[in-house]
Amino acid sequence: MEFEMKIDYYSGDPGEFIKVIEEKCTGCGQCAKFCTRDVWEADGKIYRPINLKDCVECGACWNICTADAIIFGDPKGGTGVRFTHG
Amino acid sequence: MTEDNFFDVIVVGAGCAGPAAAKKTAELGLKTLLIEKSPEPGTKTISGTCINLAGMHNEDLYYILKGPIEREIHSMRTYHINDARTTVFNEIPTKGVLLLSIRRDIFDAWHTEQAKLAGAEVKLSTTVTDIIEENDYVCGVITDSGEEFRCKVLIDAAGVNSIVGRNAGLIPKRSGDNMILYVTVAVELGEEVINDRFSDEQGGYCIEYYLAPGIQYKTWPWIFPKKDTVTLGTGGYMTKDLFNDKITNVNQYMQNFLNLPIVKRKLEGGKIVSWGLHLEYDEKISQKVKNGLILTGEAGGFVIPFLGEGMSPAFATGIFAAKTAAEAIQKNNFSKESMSSMYEDMIEEDLFLQGFMHVGKINKESILKKSEEEISNMMQSVVLGGGFITNAVHTKWLEGAENGDIEKVQEALDFLEFIQPYRQIGSEFEEIYRKLRAEGGS
Ligand SMILES: Cc1cc2nc3c(=O)[nH]c(=O)nc-3n(C[C@H](O)[C@H](O)[C@H](O)COP(=O)(O)OP(=O)(O)OC[C@H]3O[C@@H](n4cnc5c(N)ncnc54)[C@H](O)[C@@H]3O)c2cc1C
Repeated sequence: MEFEMKIDYYSGDPGEFIKVIEEKCTGCGQCAKFCTRDVWEADGKIYRPINLKDCVECGACWNICTADAIIFGDPKGGTGVRFTHG
Repeated sequence: MTEDNFFDVIVVGAGCAGPAAAKKTAELGLKTLLIEKSPEPGTKTISGTCINLAGMHNEDLYYILKGPIEREIHSMRTYHINDARTTVFNEIPTKGVLLLSIRRDIFDAWHTEQAKLAGAEVKLSTTVTDIIEENDYVCGVITDSGEEFRCKVLIDAAGVNSIVGRNAGLIPKRSGDNMILYVTVAVELGEEVINDRFSDEQGGYCIEYYLAPGIQYKTWPWIFPKKDTVTLGTGGYMTKDLFNDKITNVNQYMQNFLNLPIVKRKLEGGKIVSWGLHLEYDEKISQKVKNGLILTGEAGGFVIPFLGEGMSPAFATGIFAAKTAAEAIQKNNFSKESMSSMYEDMIEEDLFLQGFMHVGKINKESILKKSEEEISNMMQSVVLGGGFITNAVHTKWLEGAENGDIEKVQEALDFLEFIQPYRQIGSEFEEIYRKLRAEGGS
């Protein structure tokens, strides 16, 4: 069976619920490494959550960031990932 | 702020712990608000979703057994696959039902409705963005619309990354040996096919565990049968070894799992209908209570280590928190000291929580120390379930024997004695369960 990331989202703008604190980011890239959804991308010396629309709100990036450079909140009410069969 | 925004108790999160807590506080006559960020409860959560009946021996939890279930599970099948051989264990640990498989999008919606029926006010599509603290007491929450809601006691049931527990300074960043990154897929096979492929010799249904090279990192990939889909899960502890040259993403563990010839056959004709990803933290949080605040379920770290069972501990701690809140409100004392001792007492008296936490912890310690090969070899001779209990006793015993430490040996013996009542609960609880289903299961 071919693996597939079949995923659904609620409509509506989730807001910028993940942000990088530029001065704190060391560019280690652990956020990108542990992100299964390729949300994080290198931008010069730091990383940014460029593809936030693909985020599934797991929080791996926040937990793995030892530099405390990530602000991780929740999407606005009623938006963001919609898992079925959870 | 209007009268409408004042509550006795506010519960954040309508997963497992939240609706249980809100239903209970409402029943106890407290003005209760349950807040959930999702428009439909159960659609922000990924779980294996088998409720262990051993964790439901608490009359306050019996109503949950009337909820919408997918299948009754009677047994476990474990495949240990290495280059040399494949060993299959079939284990029917009790005569009756062992686990109940559920779907969270269906179950959490039902559970939230129960809280509402009991009198709790429910706000969906509402994200809590921060807590309100005054004079060293937590006393409310702020939501994404900027609205403030105040309460005497705040119950945090917002799961593993709860903003409530984090902003209260109780939930730290976690990775390494106590945080698991889990990926799942649901495969639609149809009811008949699942009846056929996931039944056991006694005509019940069976969950399956797999251990094979390249399909996991220190966890146990599984297939759990639901009504017309099966869920597969795998992943690993978030250490540097989770990824290597060959595996750079947990999805690759899943692809390798799907590629196992045995699994291919099991899933033949099926199609992936949904994918999921979630973290699971399997160590307790050191401080679970603060002035005005109680952490429950996964926010409080109440998951059985390594075995990954978090739903029944979440239901139970939701109830304990509700009772603690009710007593605190009656005494008009919401201090950490007062609430913490009530809450901890209830947790300590819970045989399942204590027993399973212990079994899980020792197994985890013993397994994290071993290489994949050693684990594979060991598991060829240790059967899951009863085997985990045996391994817990055995590991402690050996540790003591090897170091001449009689206290460790005594600990092993004490635990063996302690766990006995749990082993005997079986048949009589089956009767209770049957009766409850007959009364109104869906
Ligand atoms: C892959 C996997 C498999 C598992 N398998 C099993 C199993 O087979 N059996 C078992 O017993 N356990 C299993 N677990 C563990 C179990 O799923 C969890 O322990 C359990 O769901 C915890 O319940 P909870 O109520 O504490 O949190 P959750 O179920 O996570 O619920 C938290 C709720 O809070 C809401 N929320 C979060 N933040 C906010 C906010 N800021 N504002 C408003 N709402 C918010 C969420 O949307 C969610 O509805 C598994 C876990 C994983 C990841």
